[in-house]
Amino acid sequence: MFDDPLLWARLQFALTAGTHYTFVAFTLGMAALILAAQFSAVLRRDGARLAAVRFWGGLYVVNYGMGVLSGLVMEVQLALNWNGLNDVFGHVFSAPLAVETVAAFFTESTFLGLWIFGWDRMNRWLHLACFGVVTLTAYLSAFWVLVSNGFLKNPVGFEMRDGVAVLTDPAALVTNPSALLAFGHVAVSALLVGGLVMAGVSAYHLRRGNDPDGMFRRGVRRGVLVASLALFPTAAVGGAQYPLLVDAPPTSGTTLDAAEIERIEAAASGVVHGLAGTGNAVMTLCWTVFLCVLPLALLAWPLRGLDRWRWLQWLLPVLPVLSLLAGVGGWLYRELGRQPWAVRHHMTTAEAVTELSPGLALLSFVLFTGAFAVLAGITGWLLVRFARRGPEGGPLAPAPAPDDTAAVPVHRY
Amino acid sequence: MESVAVLLPAGLLAGYFVLAGCDVGLGMLAPYVARTPQERRRIVSAAAPYFLGSEVWLVAAVGVVAGLFPALEAEVVAGQWPLFVALLAGWLWRDAGLWLRGRVAAAAWHAVWDAAVAVGSWLIALSWGLVLAALLGGGVLPPLFTPVCVVAVAVLFLLRGAAFGAERLVPVDGSAGSESADAAARATRTLARTGLVVLPVAVLAAWADGGVDAGAAALAVAVVMLAALAVTAGVSGPRWSRLTSAVALAALPAVVAAGAELPVAVSDPRSLTLVVAATAPMLPVMAVGQVWLYRLVRRPAAASGFFA
Repeated sequence: MFDDPLLWARLQFALTAGTHYTFVAFTLGMAALILAAQFSAVLRRDGARLAAVRFWGGLYVVNYGMGVLSGLVMEVQLALNWNGLNDVFGHVFSAPLAVETVAAFFTESTFLGLWIFGWDRMNRWLHLACFGVVTLTAYLSAFWVLVSNGFLKNPVGFEMRDGVAVLTDPAALVTNPSALLAFGHVAVSALLVGGLVMAGVSAYHLRRGNDPDGMFRRGVRRGVLVASLALFPTAAVGGAQYPLLVDAPPTSGTTLDAAEIERIEAAASGVVHGLAGTGNAVMTLCWTVFLCVLPLALLAWPLRGLDRWRWLQWLLPVLPVLSLLAGVGGWLYRELGRQPWAVRHHMTTAEAVTELSPGLALLSFVLFTGAFAVLAGITGWLLVRFARRGPEGGPLAPAPAPDDTAAVPVHRY
Repeated sequence: MESVAVLLPAGLLAGYFVLAGCDVGLGMLAPYVARTPQERRRIVSAAAPYFLGSEVWLVAAVGVVAGLFPALEAEVVAGQWPLFVALLAGWLWRDAGLWLRGRVAAAAWHAVWDAAVAVGSWLIALSWGLVLAALLGGGVLPPLFTPVCVVAVAVLFLLRGAAFGAERLVPVDGSAGSESADAAARATRTLARTGLVVLPVAVLAAWADGGVDAGAAALAVAVVMLAALAVTAGVSGPRWSRLTSAVALAALPAVVAAGAELPVAVSDPRSLTLVVAATAPMLPVMAVGQVWLYRLVRRPAAASGFFA
């Protein structure tokens, strides 16, 4: 089993994609919240609020680094290890990913550079607009990636010609319900993650009595509000995807006939589907925890409990971790539930992998999964460290004024 | 429409080499030009804004090749699997170094991530040299040509980095401490002269090595690179180095385009239509963003910020 290149390629993809998504969910959620916070700060010309934006933005940028690093590996990994998929389905599956890299990520990274380096160097509305572009292109990026992923789950809009899939209906590809519903679910659940992060970090600081200029009072309320608003839509949009699991995709039967499809599915591993079920259970369980805690937080709000009830301030910081876990669980459910198919009813995962020797597959696994473990661990540690530290000395805090160490007489006679 | 479409990944790659050559080259040069902690910090804060805007060109190039030219992607990327794994590893650790370096104020932390930046940058440049040699050799690394090609590509990256460093390492407040910028400026001439020796040797090796079958067009591009290096090798070399190093690096994808037989047909026009239609509205935003970013960070590197 361990000399099977397919297993190593799959494990590598699963672990790296799961790690990538954790940082992406944080990015998507916090981007929207930071944009709102910066808008409020710029509108009111409030330096204290802008200092708060620097704090949340500092966490965002530290997180974004790992998001980019993991994203680079995801992109090249698809080209390196999943050549079989590209050979047959390259025109249909990889075209939306091309759009994502050119239109969305290109712009997002450029404008984030402008936002980081343009602080106090440009008109404050332009600076806000830069982050607006960053937020918009982050969600656009998620959309295009999910168009590709949605195609795998519900292949539409193509025809097989000479053993290669040719795109015949771009509109169908882009409006694929599997893609649209997944995007809706990811977008709303990311807001849930962002809200819980803001609420959790704010509650931590309020518990310790650290609240410069009331930023964490505002933070805990905003976070609880956004998370509560996002809670039911997350479940609703997610649940709307269940019917898609049962129906066969419209293009079913054009590559393999029904008997072959049944045979392949019957031979599929039950362990994989068991794991998929576990992912679903984890995701649902976490959501249930939020369902129990968020109404309590909402109830505490008018009773000033968010500022004073210590048990709630101990509980809230745990929730963001659960929300990230729920995201990974959800992806396990989605991806493992599609197995043994890479492209449902057209290509199995075994056919999609590049022909690699077991040694090379293992080398790739060790190199990249190992690198991810190290870098994700470091980033997670840094995030917790900076979250606990607060706005003083944060990653985006303004540079300290030049040290005036010239000796100055204390008394003048 | 279909043969013109190959200009898209070619243009993106040329843009990548010209722009990312700056930060990769500077990372490679770092152990030589930056000796004090202050200078090492300035290296990172010089490279850091740039790499956000420059690496996206390669990300876009890989995306476009995978999405519109699957046959090309299969032959180049999957075909040269170990080389691209090396490139990705170098890229990953170089970026990790830049992102993480400034997060903890400890000398040991700085040392580790500075090393990651330097080693990663070298790995990137050497990998590109190997990829170039493999593409010109028709999918196999030609034994005679490869080492010279790798050295030549490394010299070009170093030259670009030196040209970049000569401007960007100048201290922002006019204070003392411009040794690293001066070292980089002097290095441009030395590197150009090295290139003037290595490049003709590479051309000779290509001619002598039976595996390389590049034609007259590739030779013409090599002559252009040689001219750029010659300009940089003279007394006023450092002054011209920003322009000539860009020309020399942009010529790299041109050498491949002229000299290698690659499958560049777009066999699915609807995929091309989808990609063009979806990216066209973003093009003005992308252009504005890139120009604005490079103008914003053209001033010499600030003493402190997120990255350093």
